[in-house]
Amino acid sequence: MSAPAVIAAGETAQSVTERICAVTLREGARPWTPLWWWVAFAVSLGLLGMGVISVAWLFYAGLGIWGIDWPVAWGLDILNYVWWIAIASGGTFISALFFLLGVEWRTALNRLAESLTLCAALCAAIFPILHLGRPWFFYWLFPYPNTMGLWAQFRSPLVWDFFAILTYVLASILFWYFGLLPDLATLRDRAGRPGQRVFYGVLALGFRGSGRQWRHYRAVYAVMAALMAPLVVSVHSIVGMDFAGSAATGWHSTQFPPFFVFGAALSGFAVVLVVVLPLRALLGLQAYVTARHIDVLGRLFLTSSLCVAYAYLMDAFSTFYGSDPAERTMFVLRVFGLYAPVYWGTIVLNILLPQLLWWRAARMTAPLVWLIGLGVLVGMWLERFQIIVTSLARTQMLSAWGQYTPTIWEWSLLFGTIGLFLTTFLLIVRLMPVVAMAEMRAMLRGGVG
Amino acid sequence: MIVAAFATEMGMREAAAEMRRGDCGFVETYMAMEPWEAEDGVEGGSVLPTVMLGGGIVGGVGGFLMQAYATTVSYPQNVGGRPDLSWPSYVPATFELAVLGAVVAGMAGFLLLAGMLRLYEPVDEADCMRGAMLGSYVLVVRPADSACARRVLARHAPIRIEEVAE
Repeated sequence: MSAPAVIAAGETAQSVTERICAVTLREGARPWTPLWWWVAFAVSLGLLGMGVISVAWLFYAGLGIWGIDWPVAWGLDILNYVWWIAIASGGTFISALFFLLGVEWRTALNRLAESLTLCAALCAAIFPILHLGRPWFFYWLFPYPNTMGLWAQFRSPLVWDFFAILTYVLASILFWYFGLLPDLATLRDRAGRPGQRVFYGVLALGFRGSGRQWRHYRAVYAVMAALMAPLVVSVHSIVGMDFAGSAATGWHSTQFPPFFVFGAALSGFAVVLVVVLPLRALLGLQAYVTARHIDVLGRLFLTSSLCVAYAYLMDAFSTFYGSDPAERTMFVLRVFGLYAPVYWGTIVLNILLPQLLWWRAARMTAPLVWLIGLGVLVGMWLERFQIIVTSLARTQMLSAWGQYTPTIWEWSLLFGTIGLFLTTFLLIVRLMPVVAMAEMRAMLRGGVG
Repeated sequence: MIVAAFATEMGMREAAAEMRRGDCGFVETYMAMEPWEAEDGVEGGSVLPTVMLGGGIVGGVGGFLMQAYATTVSYPQNVGGRPDLSWPSYVPATFELAVLGAVVAGMAGFLLLAGMLRLYEPVDEADCMRGAMLGSYVLVVRPADSACARRVLARHAPIRIEEVAE
């Protein structure tokens, strides 16, 4: 059976420009912002407001409002950080890695995927700062000459993580914005209202599409993509080393860096599917995000799920192949103990359900793929709960065993960051072109179908 | 300067190449997507990958030296008996700072070398330029020899020609 086309028949460079500009500039018969956007924005702002209140109360009352204590000193704060930063990876994999591989289907998806990366990375960056306890001193992590004569501890993976996140957030913003420049210039020249012309004109930074600009643009974009691909792998490896670098039961494992990269790829592809599937209908993008895209994303999703399954298997194998009784006890308790529903939820949502995607009919059924994607997002959150909380709750010393129950302030912070994610993403969807027009035009010239 | 709009990329490229061969003046082309290939008579490459390499080296070497200075000179600290200069643990931050240096150098270099941040240029006065990022193919020539430029343009039949004051 031949693969469906990556773009609908009859589409031209002109039609792509007109359709995408019409969405962003609200041209045509319905020049207002659609109702669904306002409803979603209101819900997002509500969630964001909840997060703001949670942070304000945290600043006032301190970390005691959270459920963390000894021995579970890392709770939902670090869990949510790891979850969000993994979600951010999907955009980078699609945008950078598949650019280097020269695959055509990424062109319609890369802008949306990069925007998701940006929003998720912002959410992730909040948690380590709040987790510090005295977040107003977070700048002490920066290596700068200071009167105290103190430096960050460069041998610690937690400091490596600071550099990794800083670089990832800044590089993701620059990569996203750099890729936007030609499309911002198109919007500037297409915009009918003076306010829109000024807005997009300033953001386009004077891009006019000259031969000189394109020559440098192409070179810089390619090198940025080549850097972003290993960067995303390094970020998740370092997040894995945050755990592996400690002597805690269940964490001290050399397989953690690749384990975390696999998990990041799975949650990254999941969020792209969960967001793209409804958006293609709501924004009328079916001509550009075709059945081929859904099929390919489904295959990638399945592949990353199998990689995660391998990591889970190796985790169990290395525990029982090793000689540490504390590790074995902790693993048995993880599977059959108090937190067993979390473990089995992880297995069902991350491993078993995605196996449906072996069948093409399942991959082509958008609601089913959407549900599996949503299930994986929940499953990956449970996986981090299992890694962080179960390990800390069942340490080597029986007398130090404990329990952890998140408080309402931890939950409200999680939902607050979901609000931040949705608010920033909805603003991007409303104000920026959702498909990379310049790249689509170049692809169409090459006779892709 | 003379600004001409063409219906096709090929028409614009052929006119630009002929003008460059005939030394009619300084020629620049404008279009809404990456050119198919390097234009005739134009240097195809960019120096920016080298600039990014330089930025990466500055970021990486600077990051490594900063860590080495901090842990051996400014604030030596015995952590689990490891040597002060425990260089393998400097590698992750060194890599991250190298990537950051390269990306920032690429962006800054692009803004400088690609003539960005000029929100207004005299060429914007030409009506043809409004279509350059919307699908038109626009050629701008600052003629040293105006007659030569007009002769070439007449041969390649652009859809519109304008003259704009510099």
